[in-house]
Amino acid sequence: MIRFAGVTKDYDNLTALKDLTFSVEKGEMVFITGPSGSGKTTLLKLIYYAEKPDKGTISVDGWDTEQLKESSIPFLRRNIGVVFQDFRLLANKNVFENVAIALRIRGIDEKALKTKVYETLKAVNLRHKADVYPRRLSGGEQQRVVISRAIVAEPTVVLADEPTGNLDALTAEGVMKTFKDIHAKGTTILIATHNRELYRNSGKRVLRLEMGALVGEEIG
Amino acid sequence: MMLPSPYAVRLALQSMVREKWINILTILTIASGLLIISLALFSVYNVDAATKSLPEKFSLILYLDKDIQKDKIDSAIGTLRRQHAVLSVRYIPKEEALKELKAVLKNSSYVFEGLDDNPLPDAIEVKLKKDALGQETVKKLADEALKIKGVKEVDYAEKFLSTLNYLKVGLKTIGIILIAILSTGIVFVCYSTVKILFYRRNEEIETFKLLGATKGFIRTPFIIEGAVIGTAGGILGLLGIFAFYYLVILRLSVAMPIFKMILFPSDLFLPLPFIGMFLGITGSVIALGRLKY
Repeated sequence: MIRFAGVTKDYDNLTALKDLTFSVEKGEMVFITGPSGSGKTTLLKLIYYAEKPDKGTISVDGWDTEQLKESSIPFLRRNIGVVFQDFRLLANKNVFENVAIALRIRGIDEKALKTKVYETLKAVNLRHKADVYPRRLSGGEQQRVVISRAIVAEPTVVLADEPTGNLDALTAEGVMKTFKDIHAKGTTILIATHNRELYRNSGKRVLRLEMGALVGEEIG
Repeated sequence: MMLPSPYAVRLALQSMVREKWINILTILTIASGLLIISLALFSVYNVDAATKSLPEKFSLILYLDKDIQKDKIDSAIGTLRRQHAVLSVRYIPKEEALKELKAVLKNSSYVFEGLDDNPLPDAIEVKLKKDALGQETVKKLADEALKIKGVKEVDYAEKFLSTLNYLKVGLKTIGIILIAILSTGIVFVCYSTVKILFYRRNEEIETFKLLGATKGFIRTPFIIEGAVIGTAGGILGLLGIFAFYYLVILRLSVAMPIFKMILFPSDLFLPLPFIGMFLGITGSVIALGRLKY
């Protein structure tokens, strides 16, 4: 599903990722861990093509980034649901619209869109907050809106960047349960986190990054 | 042409409400520009209409030989009537010419004192069709007339014709330059507005992109916004020119009858909203084409 082959990414004189080679199989749930600045976010950005690699090739669900045309990028991204670290919620749109935008971009008709959005909000226990604006939501609720937006279009891959970063233990547990439910449906999931509690005893593969290099792989 | 999605229309309208002040200012600027264009057209139209009525008073006078015979006069009249540019031909015997001259100079009748013989020659007055009143056509006709047997001299207001020609060309040139400058200005105003609106929604657009939005999805609301702004400016401009005529010109014409001569070509101004829409879309498309996103 996802293949990195000798990928290097530099920001000016700083190397963010160094000669990274790994792969994630279809339907797998993988954790990427490492200290702050180890390159976790950059790795995810390379997958959804917010950044381009300086060296090496990346393949995502059959899309080879080396041959990817500018006009194809939106279509690559439609296969990927992203839970951004900074949420990227639209402040002037309510919860429903924030989730629905992922479907509107895909040109889904209004009736199917409503059904799908309400179903997804129900799954994350936010159906009753559909008309509320993001600033009125708690951190955990905002996080669940972002997860809803990432999964509503049923992408083949879901990327989550520090999805429990600012959440208390109980809320974090709820968020992780949502990811497990999505994974159970066969979605490939990559979670970047420095929180050991998330992957401990998960039985999932954990890739460890340090200074932009892959330094270890273990089962959580 | 693909119709924009209802969501794109909704995004455009939401943006218009959210950014109402910049949009209102842009609409007023476009309306002012289109109003000035309309006033320029209004002036050119009226000057053109005024100069078009002048040909009715314009004529060529062909002075005939002193002892010309009746059959030669008839032949000359026949030849002239066959000319394409000629509207009417009138024979003026020298007696009638003198009578007309005396009528014109009735306050200076001393001019005719001691005049035993009529010094005026017989003449033919030729009036031209409106569309034939070009400097070259008239000169050609005058040259042709001189070739007719019995015609001694041809007289027409050559200077008047060239002045009329310069006036028309000059006014049209000024009108075209004014329209070009103001249209460019309106496009630039729309361009700047769309650019500002785009930057203000930069974060939202970035999110759309990361979620998989195509350029078309991102661009369409801005193009709709440009079209709506332009159309609104056009409608305001249209209301402005109608208000100018009905509230200013018509009222003035009550006090000053000369204003009654002013014509109001309402059909000419009706496309203003469409022109506004076209200029708005053009500005938006240029702005979006130049933006990196």
